[in-house]
Amino acid sequence: MSIDWWTLGLQTVNALVLIWILARFLFRPVSRILTERQEAAHAELDAAQAARAEAEAAREAAKAETASLAATRSDALARAQAEAAEERDRLITDARAEAATLRDSAGHELARERDRQRHALSQEAGELAADIAARLMARLPETTRVAGFTEGLAEAVAGLPEATRARIGSEGPVILRAVRPLEPAESAELSAALARVLGTAPALTVETDPALIAGLELETPHAIVRNHLRADLDRIRAELTHD
Amino acid sequence: MENPLSIEPLFHLGPVPVTAPVVVTWVIMAVLAALAWATTRRLTLRPGKAQTVLELMVTTIDAQVADTMRRDPAPFRALIGTIFLFVLAANWSSLIPGVEPPTAHVETDAALALIVFAATIAYGIRARGMSGYLATFAEPSWVMIPLNVIEQITRTFSLIVRLFGNVMSGVFVVGIVLSLAGLLVPIPLMALDLLTGAVQAYIFAVLATVFIGAAVGETRDPAANDRKDPSDD
Repeated sequence: MSIDWWTLGLQTVNALVLIWILARFLFRPVSRILTERQEAAHAELDAAQAARAEAEAAREAAKAETASLAATRSDALARAQAEAAEERDRLITDARAEAATLRDSAGHELARERDRQRHALSQEAGELAADIAARLMARLPETTRVAGFTEGLAEAVAGLPEATRARIGSEGPVILRAVRPLEPAESAELSAALARVLGTAPALTVETDPALIAGLELETPHAIVRNHLRADLDRIRAELTHD
Repeated sequence: MENPLSIEPLFHLGPVPVTAPVVVTWVIMAVLAALAWATTRRLTLRPGKAQTVLELMVTTIDAQVADTMRRDPAPFRALIGTIFLFVLAANWSSLIPGVEPPTAHVETDAALALIVFAATIAYGIRARGMSGYLATFAEPSWVMIPLNVIEQITRTFSLIVRLFGNVMSGVFVVGIVLSLAGLLVPIPLMALDLLTGAVQAYIFAVLATVFIGAAVGETRDPAANDRKDPSDD
């Protein structure tokens, strides 16, 4: 067995050349594409991880937004309920105030109506009393409708203040009202009674007023002295009305 | 009688005689180079069938180298991968009528073994430094230096003889049976040659990996550690 050294040398060179060729055109490109795919896969994984993190963040943000919206809605509901309660309270208060006002007004109106009715009844009662008194007095002698009131008029004049009493008759005739014209005797008796309490008998201008029913009324510029049934009835009616 | 192991030059390139193994090797180189260029011309991130086969082949070689060396396979990929592909193609070239595989001649096997021998020394010095590489001959004791030196030579010869003997014997057996029996009888033996050729290519590449790996030593290379170690199972 012999070795062909030229063939050995050529095969060595051939093998080295083939190593270079396959390294250049086979192993290096395939290795590069494998590395690129690995890097691409890593990049995709990183991107997916980033997208997942972003989606997670977005989900958290949406969750927070939902919670915020729920809180806002709850606040708005609570505020609306508070406002509604406040408005209801205000309306109830206003209604109560208005009802109280209406009740007071109705009470006042009722009181006024009651006073007016009582006044009307008093008025009517006074007129009825005057009518009764007039009818009763009509059955008495005519003299009693004047003579019985002379002394009472004198006493009423005597009860006037001194200054008022002193000025009676000094400023002209004094008006004397009676239910009928006075008889001379009745005029004399009245003048005597007034002279007794005033010192002098004043000049009298007699006027007839049937509304007095019975009695006399003396009118001066500064005072009116009444002593007749109409005044008594009016005073009674006034007292009843004032109650 | 003519020596069947001797080779006659087919032609001369100047003073250089060109023999049949060299020509067949050139053809194999041209075919491998053309296939490599054609299949890697348009590599994409979404591989087709051919690219998938290429990537499977490269990743398998990488995994084998990484599992054996416990290192990043990139620096050794071209050498180991080329040895495997060339030996496989050369062994299977016997299926073509009239073609004698280059590995059936000792010059081709010796050339490959010499490249492995040189690569072992070069990678060992680059990984450990000159003194570090020489110190490996004194392991486990300086007494072992002669034996270790002899081992470096004998294991290279074992590479040569193993590949040469297996391929050459297969060619001889097929030739003898063909001359004695007839046209179709050697077919089972040729199928057996296919298996023998693949196994011998694998053995040659793995032994080259083991020799280079022993020279460079193990490392805690992260790229290599990422791969799962079958021995861990």
